[in-house]
Amino acid sequence: MEQSVTVFSSFSVQDLSFLGEAALRTLWISFLSITIGSVLGGFFGWALYEMKVWGAIFLNPILDVFRSVPLIVQLVLFYNFAPIVGLNLDAFESGLVVLTLYTSALVANVARGGIEAVGKPMRITSRSLGMSYLQDMRYVVFPIGARAIFPSWVGVALGVMKDSALVSVLGYVELVKASQVLITRTQEPLLIILVVGAFYFALSYPVSRYSAKLEKRWSQ
Amino acid sequence: MLITTMVDNKMLKKLVSMAAMSILIAGTAAADTLDDVIDRGTLRCGVVLDFPPIGYRDANNQPAGFDVEYCKDMAAALEVELELLELTWADRLPVIVTGRADVVFGATSDSLARAKTVGFSVPYAIYYAQGIVNSKSGIKTVEDIRGKRVAAAVGTVPEQEWLKIAKEWGEENLYQGYQSENEVFLAVAQGKADIGITTNTAVKPIADQYDTVDAGPRMPWTTDYTSVVGKRQDISWLNYLNLFVTHQVRSGRYQELWGKFVGGEAPELRIPGVMY
Amino acid sequence: MFEYNFHWRPVFKSLPDLLEASITTLQVASLAMLLGIVIGFILAVSRLRGNGSVYWIATAWVELARNTPALFQLFFFGFGLGALGIHFSPYAIVLAGLTFNTAGYLGENFRGGFEAIPPTQLRAARSLGMNSWQAYTRILIPQVIRIVYYPMTNQFVWVVLMSSLGMLVGYRELTGETQFFASKTYRIFEYFAVTAVIYYVMVKIILGLSKFCASRFFRY
Repeated sequence: MEQSVTVFSSFSVQDLSFLGEAALRTLWISFLSITIGSVLGGFFGWALYEMKVWGAIFLNPILDVFRSVPLIVQLVLFYNFAPIVGLNLDAFESGLVVLTLYTSALVANVARGGIEAVGKPMRITSRSLGMSYLQDMRYVVFPIGARAIFPSWVGVALGVMKDSALVSVLGYVELVKASQVLITRTQEPLLIILVVGAFYFALSYPVSRYSAKLEKRWSQ
Repeated sequence: MLITTMVDNKMLKKLVSMAAMSILIAGTAAADTLDDVIDRGTLRCGVVLDFPPIGYRDANNQPAGFDVEYCKDMAAALEVELELLELTWADRLPVIVTGRADVVFGATSDSLARAKTVGFSVPYAIYYAQGIVNSKSGIKTVEDIRGKRVAAAVGTVPEQEWLKIAKEWGEENLYQGYQSENEVFLAVAQGKADIGITTNTAVKPIADQYDTVDAGPRMPWTTDYTSVVGKRQDISWLNYLNLFVTHQVRSGRYQELWGKFVGGEAPELRIPGVMY
Repeated sequence: MFEYNFHWRPVFKSLPDLLEASITTLQVASLAMLLGIVIGFILAVSRLRGNGSVYWIATAWVELARNTPALFQLFFFGFGLGALGIHFSPYAIVLAGLTFNTAGYLGENFRGGFEAIPPTQLRAARSLGMNSWQAYTRILIPQVIRIVYYPMTNQFVWVVLMSSLGMLVGYRELTGETQFFASKTYRIFEYFAVTAVIYYVMVKIILGLSKFCASRFFRY
């Protein structure tokens, strides 16, 4: 009896929709981790600024771990740690947790820099004009600080978007994993690698150009 | 203020009950995988999908192959939903150790070293290791491999067996370890490696697929008896796995799937000269 | 905890191998960094002074390196070029990928450094009788090094962390070696936990050394 199935087949039109879905997954996990991570990171940055001693002793060393250990090691470590403590997280959830914390650690530094960028005299002035602490934060520190750090934040966000490719190691079928699936089946590595590279480039390049333009305009 | 404390209380209660739940769930998991699977209503079945025709993705990019069918059959026998987990070779045992998967069908050889970590069923399929060679390499026999670049997948028996030979020959530096079996095939096809070590079942489809790849020599180590993997401590679950394997053979399903995916007569799951 | 039994013994037994692999990591990262600095400098000058095809090649290099995932770049040097019959060893793939990436990022940093120095300085130097080479090496470059020193330190940390991708292309630097051992003993969590600590310590040492050097060199 001969085997009756074929295990290889060439690149077809529906593979494009397979890649498209995978690209959406890349966007989705990046979007979630960048949004949640930025909010968390903003909070951490504020905490680092306001609570100098506690921040330096507790918060900063923890955030440092996420900045000093390769993302791929963080991912593998957390993915294998979660079930040990009884958490049944799949590849997407594990990847999301790690990417979010990783983003927040990077954003924390940026955010602290943003608050520091607002000069002390300006803040003393706003408080002496009768603004409360929150008003000072909302109407003075945030608009000025956000402007100062916007380019760095865009850099972090784009970095996380590109780094999300590593979640493929856990088996989450985002763009890179999907490309590996297709390479296995179709055996056309060069074509598929280039298509995937073009996708990331098309996403990242315009944003980074736009941010560089804004930076120039604001600095004038 | 009152409202916030109420919310806090609610949150706290929720958190406490969630923590209690997770301890409870972990507690039952320790008791019995079989009960757990039936209770949960899903079987988390690990497979490797870069191992045609045992595990691969079909033209619609859906999981397919001999091992995938075994997962489906098992879920059907347990009358639960199937949750397929795609694994790399190196992932196969850790997912059992950490409890991420209930069972792994992944052409896993039942070595004594591995049995220190996980539990094995009786053999469910038998393979032997064979090379695929680049047609320009000129490799015909195992001796011809001296001085050639050898590729295998990280965390497989071929890798470990080959590294023993390579050590004897002093050629460990010529070994290349890849993340997936498919990358091994690609490496041989592109000429990055002269020979890739894989399994006899994969040789024919690969050699058919690439013009630059031929079937190579059989490797000089013993036949691969591969078993279903489950938690080592959970004897009742391993018993169930044994029973499942024998039922697949008795019902003719084993021969049917082997014929469909590999072709020909399915190997007899018997070890000559030994009572298993 | 729960039903997982931690086994640390195999990890400690292979600790010498892991430490040796971290030396490999530092070696490949240092070499990529050195090459990256040289190429990055050439890229920066080409973009500032070059025209026509020199400018466009340099710009394309910088933008491609910065706007695609490092993992993609490694895959390209691996199976991508392999499809064209160009074969890199795992070591060469990692070195080429890291160098390409680093040169791109540093090229942009250096350009920023050069642009930060007022052009009048160069003219002043020339009018004092310096030739172009003297003006560059004695006036411009020392200042640029000061400006890009901290970004360069950060970049080196990135290169060390990024070299972990070697695991995915079969190179046994620290992460690859860790995976090799973990796959032999099935103790993924324990192995990667120890490796995470090694990376953390490595990064701390690099940052410490960098601070020390800065305090010696930039005293004026």
